[in-house]
Amino acid sequence: MRMSLIRNIHRLKKFQCHRVSCRTLFGFSRPDDWNKAVTDAEKVVGYPTSFMSLRCLLSDELSNVAIHMRKLVGTKHPLLKTARGLVYDGTHNLQTRGLIVLLISKTAGLSQNNFHQQQDVIEGILPSQRSLAEIAEMIYTANLIHKGVVNLSDIQPSDGSVHDMELGNKMAVLTGDFLLANASTGLAQLHNTKVVETISSCIGDHVSAEFTGLQDKNGRPYLPDNVTFNDWLNQTFLSSGSLLSKSCLAAVELAGHGLEEQTSAFEFGKNMALAQQLSEDLKPFLKPEDNLEQLTITSAPVIKYIASSYNKHPISLFNIYSQKKILEVIKDSSILSESKTLCNEYGEKAINSLSKFKNCQAKNALIKIVKAVVDV
Amino acid sequence: MAALRSRLHRSLLRFQLNLAACRDGRWLRSFRKYEGTNLIHTTSIFVPSASFMHIPIYHQPSSCLQVRVFNSSSIKDEIHSTTKPREIIDPHRLVEEQISSLTLQIKQELQGASQELYKLVEYYFDGQGKLFRPMVVLLMSQACNQHHDFSQSLITEDQNKIAMISEMIHTASLIHDDVIDAADTRRGKTSINMVWGQRMSILAGDYVISIASMLLARIRNDQIVIILSQVIEDLVRGEFMQLGSKEDESERFTHYLRKTFKKTASLLANSCQAVSILANCPEEVTEIAYQYGKNIGIAFQLIDDLLDFTSCDLILGKPTAADLKLGLATAPVLFAAQDYPELNSLIMRRFSLDGDVETARHLVAKSDGVEETRYLANQHGREAIKQIKLLKQSESQQALINLINTVLTRKK
Repeated sequence: MRMSLIRNIHRLKKFQCHRVSCRTLFGFSRPDDWNKAVTDAEKVVGYPTSFMSLRCLLSDELSNVAIHMRKLVGTKHPLLKTARGLVYDGTHNLQTRGLIVLLISKTAGLSQNNFHQQQDVIEGILPSQRSLAEIAEMIYTANLIHKGVVNLSDIQPSDGSVHDMELGNKMAVLTGDFLLANASTGLAQLHNTKVVETISSCIGDHVSAEFTGLQDKNGRPYLPDNVTFNDWLNQTFLSSGSLLSKSCLAAVELAGHGLEEQTSAFEFGKNMALAQQLSEDLKPFLKPEDNLEQLTITSAPVIKYIASSYNKHPISLFNIYSQKKILEVIKDSSILSESKTLCNEYGEKAINSLSKFKNCQAKNALIKIVKAVVDV
Repeated sequence: MAALRSRLHRSLLRFQLNLAACRDGRWLRSFRKYEGTNLIHTTSIFVPSASFMHIPIYHQPSSCLQVRVFNSSSIKDEIHSTTKPREIIDPHRLVEEQISSLTLQIKQELQGASQELYKLVEYYFDGQGKLFRPMVVLLMSQACNQHHDFSQSLITEDQNKIAMISEMIHTASLIHDDVIDAADTRRGKTSINMVWGQRMSILAGDYVISIASMLLARIRNDQIVIILSQVIEDLVRGEFMQLGSKEDESERFTHYLRKTFKKTASLLANSCQAVSILANCPEEVTEIAYQYGKNIGIAFQLIDDLLDFTSCDLILGKPTAADLKLGLATAPVLFAAQDYPELNSLIMRRFSLDGDVETARHLVAKSDGVEETRYLANQHGREAIKQIKLLKQSESQQALINLINTVLTRKK
């Protein structure tokens, strides 16, 4: 058991090196403090989080997919981009979800009255909590892949042939299902049906996030006429808050903690997710020179602007305005500074929800990550 | 017609010869190639069964095999030997109450979805499905409850949940299969992907699985969660197995049977086992439930694969051969390939060239592939009956036996 663990760590280290070099190679840039916060945090939890990538990528099933996927090169099937993100970990923040679960596990520690003495605790984290971190990554990735299934009736000639796109869909469905199935058996092995229930609900929340009215049937952002900021909150919770907050809650539950600690962990995850999304949404507005193409009409600043008294434009126009035009419309209002303040507030709430836990390295790492997130 | 009759006569003769050979302790010709892989046992590796491992299923006393091979109602005698001979127990009647409210109960569980999403997720829960899986699960619940304590035939709430979950997992997999196979109809209506597009359909399938998993977790039984999550993994692995065909001909049949277990039988086997555990049955009994579910599942799928060659498309008036069009080689083709080795190259290229489907259909019709498939299905049916007879006699037990006959004789 321990031997195989050491072997795994060794393999992971190699994999990590590869990942880092790819990141430099392909010029992914992230603010230094973010990178530092994440790298430091990884040290705190002992070894890196995402085994999912390795174990699943090495399976027969996914190598089969990889062979088929070569045929997709040259098409615009979203699966290609997602797969690239999986390996290079460029833009999808893949590893942080699991990392946060591990950090909150270590922050909360193990409860006194417990049954988990017989488990191998490494760096203050239970094996079941490490599995949970992995499962959270799998569920997130599965959803990312399934959202990339394309409607064959809406594809453009430039996307690729119908045949290729159909193949891409097939691979996307199977790969996503494979991850979900692994998540499902992994959850069962945790021997805690409350955790199974909580985490299973995240899969449904991810689906619900695609039916909030803030997107068309192809998943492209769309602004309905009666949009309010509550829609953004709802959307953000369903698409990222649910998984993060509920995995934090479940991690604490696995260590035998009660309702109070579970609520704190949930609040941390929820506010962290809101701050993270708000920060992402603000980037194109604050640094348009690098990020303008990431501006979407369902981002927080746009929705806040529309719902505010500044807005003089009919909502439907935002659905057809160019990104540049939207930037110009919003830039001069106080919406951006209001959004920044709000982002800071969510960050503070996240940090405050940790106040019940004793100060430790892991807690500091979490605080640093939050601070790096809200620093836009 | 006359030609057909004479051909059937010929193959009958050949089979009787084979049976004679079987009497001498030799394998049936058709199965000779798979010697060593031992057809049914291949799927046992997942849950080893002491009671099952050593039954030489193709070495049964020849008297019980005889010409019945070609007569699908052949196992009638066995079916009625446990209770009064002519008594017919309609499997539907015993669980009518639960079955009639099952779809509604599932829909209630899905109510949490937003209006738009709900339209998609309830699309296939329209009461038009056969609800075959819940029926098996509910009858098994009754049979196990009575086996454990004869006065106790009431299906518990948790067992009913397993019935719902089995149908939900099945439906979610149908939705994903329809996208993968680019199906345009299902149960006589437009398929979900044609109405809402592939993207939303896949997500709707995920939603159904999510709700089913939550329902499962609320039973608050770790063992049950582990058993049913295995089903989801099997379904996906089975789907992956369907992507490729084995190059080695002798491995192909094993591969096919393993795939069949994973894609169809695992759900029935594991759900049956789950309800027997909920009935507080000891391990020997839960193993019986598992084996019954596994064998009825494989028989069900073999008949399904066979009907693809024998049932006629209403409009075209010729066999539908939907599997061939998808590039899948099922039992009838694999058997036919023994008589006509030229089929092997078609199987390898997944019937992708013009005329391949037609050629394969023709050769299957010329061979004994269909009859041999039916024979194999009967064997699994017989094994299921043998297993379920190990339980104490009850009406539900008899219904489960009758259900085998329904599966083996169904026309669609």
